[in-house]
Amino acid sequence: MPELTEEQRKQLEEKIKKMSPEELKEFQKQQCIFCQLISGKIPSKKVYDDEKCIAVLDIAPASKGHLLIMPKEHYAIMPQIPDKEIGHLFLVSKYLSQVLLKVLKVSGTNVFVANGAVAGQRAQHFMLHLIPRKEGDKIIEVEDKLIDAGLRAKVKELVEKRLKTLLGVKEEKQAALPKGEQNVPEEKSVPEEESAETKEETAEPDAEEETAAEEKVEEKPAKTTKKASKKSSSKLSSSKKNKPKDEPESAGDASLDDIANLFK
Amino acid sequence: MKCEYCDILERKSTADILYEDNEVIIAIKDFSIAPGQLTVFPKQHFTIMEMVPDDIIQKCFVLANKVSVAIFESMGAHGTNIIVQNGLGAGQKVPHFAVEIIPRREGDGLNLQWTPKELSEDEKETSYLLIKEEGDKLVDIGKKKEKKEVSPIVTEKISGLNGKDNYLLKSLKRIP
Repeated sequence: MPELTEEQRKQLEEKIKKMSPEELKEFQKQQCIFCQLISGKIPSKKVYDDEKCIAVLDIAPASKGHLLIMPKEHYAIMPQIPDKEIGHLFLVSKYLSQVLLKVLKVSGTNVFVANGAVAGQRAQHFMLHLIPRKEGDKIIEVEDKLIDAGLRAKVKELVEKRLKTLLGVKEEKQAALPKGEQNVPEEKSVPEEESAETKEETAEPDAEEETAAEEKVEEKPAKTTKKASKKSSSKLSSSKKNKPKDEPESAGDASLDDIANLFK
Repeated sequence: MKCEYCDILERKSTADILYEDNEVIIAIKDFSIAPGQLTVFPKQHFTIMEMVPDDIIQKCFVLANKVSVAIFESMGAHGTNIIVQNGLGAGQKVPHFAVEIIPRREGDGLNLQWTPKELSEDEKETSYLLIKEEGDKLVDIGKKKEKKEVSPIVTEKISGLNGKDNYLLKSLKRIP
């Protein structure tokens, strides 16, 4: 809400801080033009509608037939959405992409999601863009470039541990992690047992990293997952602290709150 | 046929593999749009999104969401973009369906934002009617997805769309 004065903004922030998670969600919903569009209070050109989501034509399209696919439930950011709904939304995008290819005679489609204002997210209602493309239309122009091997190694080092925790992959030689400690929802889509096995067969290049991680792990094996997530989130959540939690799906991840609050 | 992504999973490439299971792989490619980019793709070779079975599509994007969260939390990113370049016209370089997750930071110099296009009322209305007609036929995808088969429309479309540059068609013939 950029048009508010400094004082109004402060008042609003105060008000928001005092809200319970339920109130906050309701408040966001009332403010959200896409929720109004879904409920039909704002007119739109709807091309698909089911129990969980709708697809409408974008009013400021990148090209003819540019669609927005959004969940009917209000989610400000993607990490709040349960796996099942993510799966459904993107499945719908697959079928609608097929429709676009067929009826618009285009030679491709982009599925595009922006998470966070810096990535181009403008609304506080999660949506995915489906953009019909033709060669030479210059809509999303990106070039692949060679990423330096040192940089890639750094990326791997940074992200691997957290990613494996999120995916429920157990670290090698540390199989006795109690089920309850893993913060992966009980979705069938990620077969934990299998993936852990394949990983054991295939992972050897990062032995150094693993031993470093293991040293810490061995002290309190049962708490590893929690520790890891606390560590990473505390890094990012330095700026704002006592924030209302409105994220049932990912309780405890303060950094996600930060991202959600970018849109307040 | 040479496919860079099949090379990755056969360990014939310098790309780093972060995760793999029976169906899906997460890798750091050596050629990317931006540093820190991760790629999720199915192990089986599917050229475009329309050819990928429903459960694999769902899994790819569920994983992409988790990758996105991991990037937020561990790389100090301020946001992420999740992009699929589906088909030649959409900038697809490798004939193997993939989901790219790109970390974003303030002032990273990436421009992925399009400029809105001015369309005539007529254009808007015709495309709306055309899409809606087909969209209505889809009814509830979640409910009837088991029955629905995907391939026919795609095959038709692809053969119609490019006479010259035809990896799409070749790989279609390859798929059982």
